[in-house]
Amino acid sequence: MIFSDESQKTIDAYLGALRRELRGPVEDDVEDIVEEIRAHILDKTSGVAATGTLAATLASLGTPKELASRYHADDLLLRAQVTRSPFVSLRSLFRWATLSFVGLAVFLVSVVGYSLGGGLVVIAGLKLVWPHATGLWMEFYPDGSPKSASAGFGSGYSYQPPPGREVLGWWLVPAGLVLGAALLFLTFRFGTWCIRKFWRPRVWSRGAVAVPEL
Amino acid sequence: MVTANVPATSDSAEKWEVQLRKGSLELAILAALWEGRLYGLEILRHLESNSDLIVVEGTVYPLLNRLRVLGLVESEWVESEFGHPRKYYRLTTGGRQRALEMTRIWDRFSASMSNLLAPLGKELKQEIKMRQEKP
Repeated sequence: MIFSDESQKTIDAYLGALRRELRGPVEDDVEDIVEEIRAHILDKTSGVAATGTLAATLASLGTPKELASRYHADDLLLRAQVTRSPFVSLRSLFRWATLSFVGLAVFLVSVVGYSLGGGLVVIAGLKLVWPHATGLWMEFYPDGSPKSASAGFGSGYSYQPPPGREVLGWWLVPAGLVLGAALLFLTFRFGTWCIRKFWRPRVWSRGAVAVPEL
Repeated sequence: MVTANVPATSDSAEKWEVQLRKGSLELAILAALWEGRLYGLEILRHLESNSDLIVVEGTVYPLLNRLRVLGLVESEWVESEFGHPRKYYRLTTGGRQRALEMTRIWDRFSASMSNLLAPLGKELKQEIKMRQEKP
C-alpha cells in the first residue's frame, strides 16, 4: 500500500501522538498497540487511499487522547486484579499516585510496607552471612531492666557490634523471614484492595457503541 | 401507558440503550471469536453483519486488549499478503468457558425479562396498530 506523503505524515503524526498518550500502565504494550492500530488504518484504507477515507478512519478511532484513554480506562484496576507481581502492583500504584491524593497515600503506605518487609528479609539473610554482626543488642541495668536497645546489621568483618547482649540470636532468621514475607504479602494485598475499593476509572467517552436509527 | 407526545426514543432511553449495548459488547466479541481466530477489523465486520451492533472502531481494540490481559483471548501477529502483519485473536480455554457462562446468564436474564415485559409488549403492539390505522 503506497500512501501520498501527506497521508503518510498524517498516519505517523496520529500514531506518534497515540504512542505519547499511551505512556502509563500499558507501557509494556505500547508498541504492540500502536502497530495494531497502524494495521487497522492500512486495512481500512487499502485500495482506496483517498484522504477522505483516511480521515474517516482516524475519526472513527477517535483522537489519540480518546483512544489512549479507552486503553487506560480500567487498566490499573485490571492489572491489579490479575497480577501477582508486587512490581506491577507498585507501578500501578505509582500511576495512581500521579492521579489522586488517595492514590498518593496508598502508594506511600505501600512503599513503607514493602521497604520494611524487604528490610526484614534482608536482615534475616545478613544474619546468615555475618551472624556476629547482625542482631538486636540490649544493655541492662543490674536489676535486669532494659537500659538501651540498638539494632546492628552486618557490614563486614571490621564491624563493631553495639554494646550489650544480642538477644535474638538465630531466631532472627525465621522471625525476619516470616515477618518480612507477611509484611510484603499484606502490603501487596493492601494495595490491590485499595485499588478495587477506591479507584474510579475514567469513564469511556460517549458513543463507544453507536445506536442505529430505530 | 405510552402517551402520544413521547418520542419513540427519548434521550434517556437512548443513553440506556447505549449502556446496554456497551455492556453486551464483551459477550458479542467472545461470540464472534467462537468459530476461530479473527483480527480486529474482521471482528468489527462480523459484529456489523451478524447483529445490529455498530461498534465504534476505537472501542473494540481497547476491549480486545482488556480481554487479553484477563486471559480470555490470546493474540498472535500473522504476516498478510497486503504487506503488513495483522494481529489475530482467538479464544483461550478460559475465554470459551466465560463465553458459555455469559451466554447462560444472558439466556436466563433475557427469558425472565421477556416474562416481565410481556404486558408492555401487548401495549406496544396496540400502539403500533393505532398508529398504522391513523391516516
